[in-house]
Amino acid sequence: MSKMSINYKRTLKTIHIFISLFCWQGLSAQKQIDLSSLANFKNAGANWHIAGDVNADLYKQDTLIFSSGKGVLVNLPNAAARQDLYTNFKHGDLDIELDYMMAKSSNSGIYLQGRYEVQLQDSWGILNPRSGDNGGIYERWDDTKAEGQKGYQGYAPRQNVSRAPGLWQHLKIVFQAPRFEGSAKIENAKILRVELNGVLIQENVSLEGATRGAVENNEVAMDALRIQGDHGPVAFRNIIVSNYDKAKPSLSVIACSLYKGKFVKEPDYKTLKVIAQKTSPSITTNLTGLPDNEYLVRYTGTLHINEPGEYNFIAITAGGSGAVKINNTAVFALNNNNNKGSVNLQPGDWPFEIVYSKYVDWAKSSLALNITGPGIREFTISDAGSVSFTNDADPVLANATENTILRSFVDLPVGGRVTHSVNVGTPEKIHYTYDMDKGMMVQLWRGNFLDATPMWHERGDGSSRAAGAAQYFGKPMLTVAKLIDVNATWASDTTGTGYRPNGYTLDEKDRPTFKYTIYGVAVSDKIRILENGQGIEREITLQNSTANLYVRVVGAGSITEISKGLYLVNDKSYYLKIDNPDGTKPMIREQNGQKELLVPIQNKFSYSILF
Amino acid sequence: MKLYTSTIAATIGKYFIFCCFAIFSLPSSLFAQEAAKEEDFFKINKMRSPEGTLLEVGGLCTLPNGDLAVTTRRGDVFIVENPTSAKPYFRKFASGLHEVLGVAYKNGSLYVTQRGELTRLFDSNMDGKADVFETVYAWPISGNYHEYSFGPKLAPDGSFFVTLNLGFPGAWWHPESFVPWRGWTLHIYDDGRVEPWAAGMRSPCGISMIDGELFYTDNQGDWVGSGSIMPVKKGAFMGHPASLVWTNQPNSPLKLTQQEIFAKINPRIEFGPDSQQVKPENKVNEKFMTEFEMKKFIPELQLPAVWLPHGILGISTSEIVKIPKGVFGPFEDQLLVGDQGQSKISRVFMEKVNGELQGCAWDFRSGFQSGIVRLAWGTDGSLFIGETNRGWGSAGDANEGLQRLTWNKRLPFEMRTVKAMPDGFEIEFTKPVDKKYAEDLASYDIESYIYKYHGVYGSPPVNTQKCPVKGVKVSEDGLKVRLIVSNLRQYYIHIIKLDNIRDKENSYTLVHPTGYYTLNNIPEGAKLAMATVSIKNTAKAVTAKTTSPTGTYTYAQIKPLLTKYTCVACHNPDKKQVGPGFIDVAKRNYSIDKILQLIKNPQPQNWPGYATPMAPMPQVPAADAKKIAAWINSLAVKK
Repeated sequence: MSKMSINYKRTLKTIHIFISLFCWQGLSAQKQIDLSSLANFKNAGANWHIAGDVNADLYKQDTLIFSSGKGVLVNLPNAAARQDLYTNFKHGDLDIELDYMMAKSSNSGIYLQGRYEVQLQDSWGILNPRSGDNGGIYERWDDTKAEGQKGYQGYAPRQNVSRAPGLWQHLKIVFQAPRFEGSAKIENAKILRVELNGVLIQENVSLEGATRGAVENNEVAMDALRIQGDHGPVAFRNIIVSNYDKAKPSLSVIACSLYKGKFVKEPDYKTLKVIAQKTSPSITTNLTGLPDNEYLVRYTGTLHINEPGEYNFIAITAGGSGAVKINNTAVFALNNNNNKGSVNLQPGDWPFEIVYSKYVDWAKSSLALNITGPGIREFTISDAGSVSFTNDADPVLANATENTILRSFVDLPVGGRVTHSVNVGTPEKIHYTYDMDKGMMVQLWRGNFLDATPMWHERGDGSSRAAGAAQYFGKPMLTVAKLIDVNATWASDTTGTGYRPNGYTLDEKDRPTFKYTIYGVAVSDKIRILENGQGIEREITLQNSTANLYVRVVGAGSITEISKGLYLVNDKSYYLKIDNPDGTKPMIREQNGQKELLVPIQNKFSYSILF
Repeated sequence: MKLYTSTIAATIGKYFIFCCFAIFSLPSSLFAQEAAKEEDFFKINKMRSPEGTLLEVGGLCTLPNGDLAVTTRRGDVFIVENPTSAKPYFRKFASGLHEVLGVAYKNGSLYVTQRGELTRLFDSNMDGKADVFETVYAWPISGNYHEYSFGPKLAPDGSFFVTLNLGFPGAWWHPESFVPWRGWTLHIYDDGRVEPWAAGMRSPCGISMIDGELFYTDNQGDWVGSGSIMPVKKGAFMGHPASLVWTNQPNSPLKLTQQEIFAKINPRIEFGPDSQQVKPENKVNEKFMTEFEMKKFIPELQLPAVWLPHGILGISTSEIVKIPKGVFGPFEDQLLVGDQGQSKISRVFMEKVNGELQGCAWDFRSGFQSGIVRLAWGTDGSLFIGETNRGWGSAGDANEGLQRLTWNKRLPFEMRTVKAMPDGFEIEFTKPVDKKYAEDLASYDIESYIYKYHGVYGSPPVNTQKCPVKGVKVSEDGLKVRLIVSNLRQYYIHIIKLDNIRDKENSYTLVHPTGYYTLNNIPEGAKLAMATVSIKNTAKAVTAKTTSPTGTYTYAQIKPLLTKYTCVACHNPDKKQVGPGFIDVAKRNYSIDKILQLIKNPQPQNWPGYATPMAPMPQVPAADAKKIAAWINSLAVKK
């Protein structure tokens, strides 16, 4: 949980009120599953192991090799042992977030409530993923149908952002359990979100029933989480779950009073004339007789709390501001800048009040109130229909159905804006951004090409964003530079190097080769996509070379050589493969707490990144 | 590209003549007679392009073979083959460039300006597409959205000029030069050598080359009271001080500092109670300085050669082109200037007096589909118009466009030229005038004004004074009139209204009866003797009465006021233009007093759907503002 401002605390007789601005997800009952043993799992099969580290082999099928230790959960199925793994806890609504690693050609899955599977699969390089690919929602199955028609209602990921075997991938699933009234299901289970490697690939998918291979074909309110273990080797770590199994607060007997006028601060209601008063089924701005502007509407009611703990109230009050009071104490007051607050509540009925003051004349009336609480996922307690979306921009997306270049400014997560950058997209769905100020590839990604909305909506800001799962390579630095002393710091800018960008040429397939001059040496920098979309190969060629030139292949937190010329970089984020390692003499050194892989260059050097 | 300007013209077209009559309250009998219109002479033609081709034009250039190179804000470069035919062919020559706002042709290559560099595009394997994208020179850029880069313009020696916009910080009303050489013109050679050429630019979209000399138009804003045409000489300071932070660089051609400007004029950096910068507003009663007064202290300051009055001849002036010989009939050798916000073209006649340029500007043609950014001549004498308004809005409400303007060889009745004389002006017409009107002093109405030079966004017209016409002499052939005018003021914009002048042939009034003459110098020479001129004056002291007995007004009654105060530049009665439709203003239920206040001190934050904030209009007299306000509010009652 990150707290962004100072908290202050007031103790009242019955309620403790904390008011702060913070990160709302931080409030859920978030828990990391202890992977120092298998104790948190029910009768784990012999195929499940606790390990300290794990490595897959890029080229060998179904191969995972682990070392002893703690923190990594490894599945190595064989003919004798190939059991699925079940958690001791049962869950209803659940967020789960984890890192996982696939062996080559392997297959696994996360079964929510043992029934609804989000597929884990080695889908490296697949161009058009299906529901059975990594991040897909696996199909349902009907044995009564003819061959070829048995599978149905599988949901493909929106794009394939899967990484190579042996790399850690990050998955986040937001799940909502089916709802029942007695034994009758009244609402389907829902996959609210799936994010794979930071990219949203499923959203709000309603599931009519259990997917194929469910533990049971019935549907229930609570059951154990299950990890598929019968297909192939897979490893997990950092499994974090948030259970949302507690009863939500509810509101009853809502009275509504309307006042006319512009209220920037809360008025003294005693001195005000009530224009209209009625009871309302919900908190809403869909009320007949509401003026367009300059009014205040005040809802009062009773808030029923079932679960003790800290509750957060988030109001959306476009065109004005809002205030919430519980037990006649402000959770937050009318204020343009803050529509959030939190309060510690005990079970029971609490006098509740929310005020919406509308005074921005051009805006549409818009009011919503969201609540999170202990074991309670953020939900909207107000009328969902009273929020307006009319001002949202249509996205402007750039696809690369052929080799495509689209220049823009590019913002990097390390900070800073790359201003002379070239985004290169390919139909292989591997794309990269080249910084022409430094001759550096600053990002490399898989999936969709670019979101150009920031650049092309209205005036725009000149920038675009990678629309897939990106690898970053740190702050822009020169790729080729002179090192008189191999311990000297790598130059962070071009001062004194005579660096000059010379642009690029396109080959017969419209693929660019970048050109620049440094120390009077002409550099040609060619990046091409590897076969089967495995990554990129980069070839740097010098003309009129000079002495003591090096290529800074990569700077990263960790660079580990796993076989001659093959490296795992940044905690197994990607592979780096040096061509001709015997001839090129790569060296890894430490600079400012970072590892750097440098290679001396005379005329030509090439390497690949597989991810 | 124009930013945050305040006003823009309606599709004045057909209404324009009518409005002008109404404003100056002609005798009603004259309304019956027809006046010719722009479209009777100059036709706007569509250019057929494949469906889905997004032509947000940033650059235009005619190639030696007559093909047209078109570059777009989306980064495409098209070569349009047979561009003047019924079926032009669009060949995509290059794509993926960064907001290409200009293109030039040299030695078989196209040179384009991207946000951060000048690039040579060349098709080395003759497959019809560029395969060489050579960086000629990459300039620093901070990455601010407003750092647009314009050009290149090709100098006679084969070198290039580009102009670089200032960036807009959070306090956008005070744009800044975040990195060298924003707000400058750069002179760039093929081999990558670069020479900072001139400073003081704000938003120099209108970079232009006329007879081998560099000119530009800037966009109204702080320190720029209105658009204008200016020559760009080496070492000149064009007026906006933000760029001067780099004059300490060794290769700067001028040493002028911001402090030298701010010592004379408060830059109006102002803060609100919360220590946040606030937009300074025009002070109606203050001591102010004009640009020509400042020039006495800052000789590097370049004054406009010809002002293009804001809200009248544009709100965001763009490219200037010279009309080639034999093209557009009587207007050959004159200039045309595009305008983004008002989707129209103005015409300018320039002359040199005492070695300095000055001249007269008129409306020429309006009614284009989007905001005009670029102009280029076709080899057949038609004019290609490159348009975009994304992010700003324009009178023509399409977001993009490529159109073509042609002349039908019919002669419009226009002022061909206005020249400064030692005692007044000489006006030459395209057709002989009817002397009955031309010899009547009542046919002439001249006044002059100027703009403030200050750190506030835009400027109202100030120091307005009448310039009484004392005598007129009409030439034998009826093509020229010499006017003796009193109260001529050097550097001022002289509005010359000839509403009553009629041609001999049809008794039509002028297509564009108002010219705007920038009088930078008054020539020496012989004055006319009063004995030789006509002093006939049929003017009666009639005051127009627009007040209706009921206190309500019709659109017909109010329209002349809306036009006079340039409201129509941005506002349409019933739909969004650059600003909201009056009907939408009416929905706010403002009181009359509130509308009066808002005219003087607009609250653009109340209109978030509009990119261009309204400029304060303190010059609108309260009596007229009240009439306008009453009419606006009457629109709501109808609903």
